[in-house]
Amino acid sequence: MNKSENRWLWLLLGLLAVFSLSLFLIPAFVIRPFRHQSERALGLAIAVKGIAPALTVAALVGVVALGARLWRTSSRWLRTGMVTALVLSAAAAVMVRQNYFEWMFNPITAAGFVSAGDAHLDDKEMVMAVRIGQEARAYPIVQMAYHHILNDTVADVPIVVTY
Amino acid sequence: MWKRTARGRELHFYLAGINNQNFLMRDRETGSWWQQVTGRAIAGALAGSALELMPNDELTFGLWKSEASQGQGRFLVLTPVPGHDDKDYDKKWEEEVAKYPVPLTFPGRGLKDRDVILGVAMGGQARAFPLEKVRGTNPVEDKIAGVPVVLVTGADGESVRVFRSQWNGQDIELYRDTQNDGQRDGQSDGRSSGQSTEWRLVDSMGNTWNFAGCATSGPAVGQCLEKINFLKDYWFDWKNYNPQTTVYSH
Repeated sequence: MNKSENRWLWLLLGLLAVFSLSLFLIPAFVIRPFRHQSERALGLAIAVKGIAPALTVAALVGVVALGARLWRTSSRWLRTGMVTALVLSAAAAVMVRQNYFEWMFNPITAAGFVSAGDAHLDDKEMVMAVRIGQEARAYPIVQMAYHHILNDTVADVPIVVTY
Repeated sequence: MWKRTARGRELHFYLAGINNQNFLMRDRETGSWWQQVTGRAIAGALAGSALELMPNDELTFGLWKSEASQGQGRFLVLTPVPGHDDKDYDKKWEEEVAKYPVPLTFPGRGLKDRDVILGVAMGGQARAFPLEKVRGTNPVEDKIAGVPVVLVTGADGESVRVFRSQWNGQDIELYRDTQNDGQRDGQSDGRSSGQSTEWRLVDSMGNTWNFAGCATSGPAVGQCLEKINFLKDYWFDWKNYNPQTTVYSH
């Protein structure tokens, strides 16, 4: 293994780490709150999110393989860079599998209900109300404005309450 | 609020992102991306599909309860999710959100970006009714795509419903029965129509109507007006998804 070949491998390792990181950062940057999303940018973000889980793993494997090959001939300084690239690639592979929107607004996994008479709710509170046949539900807006989504079934009709 | 079935399949949704301050959801079954405000899939295997709207009301709990107490059936209220308290269920979130910039702006219609409107879309037309105006004029009467509609605010001064103001194939004009003003008791169902303290509408045919849109006396007694779905929304969001919308101004 000569020096110029090593240089190419180093470049590849760096590019893989950057590529991996961008698979996480591009959609995160596009889909950020209180900003304008153009149709094209949103389409790109969604497309990237679709391929990111597989590609970040592939990139991580590449970084590990290159790192193993270059480790012995590397200085301490270069090894630090290698570990940094590895950590960033691994972090990207983890992050593209996370739904951080659900970290912010915890989803309702098991909804609890009480009868109208037992609810501790001020009369002035707004509710979203639905009625199907003999079944009626009230979803307080203070809760829906936080969780945003509730999958429910009313009188055997599957519905999604959104706010 | 939507029925969560598409192409004959039951779906389960979760929050997955945001698009111009209106959230995106995905379904666990296919991973498709859906826009909350339109109920349409914008990407993924179900792209192009649309969820069916689930008719619903936005009411004060008091009004909902009083209607419930006079009806038959099972009436249930969602309880706070364990582990979440008033810090999460922040009643001032609207004020908080108002501090942030809007992603889109549509000036020049006399409305500010974050003004709350009630949006009605029917017959290929869309109209925005500023909430302030709806509450100030009770009822608001209008025509959308040739269909007469009436927007009424309930006895609580908060809850709003929209009806098609037609009965027996004829357009009807509805008025508040102002004799009873000042004696609101939160009742809105018509079973006790003999009482003078009740919130009600009257028309020129001698009918009285309650807030549920049902006639409590007169020739139409026992019949109900057709309810019309509407969306309570910020002006910028409504305008974004209904570019051709007009704004009610009378």
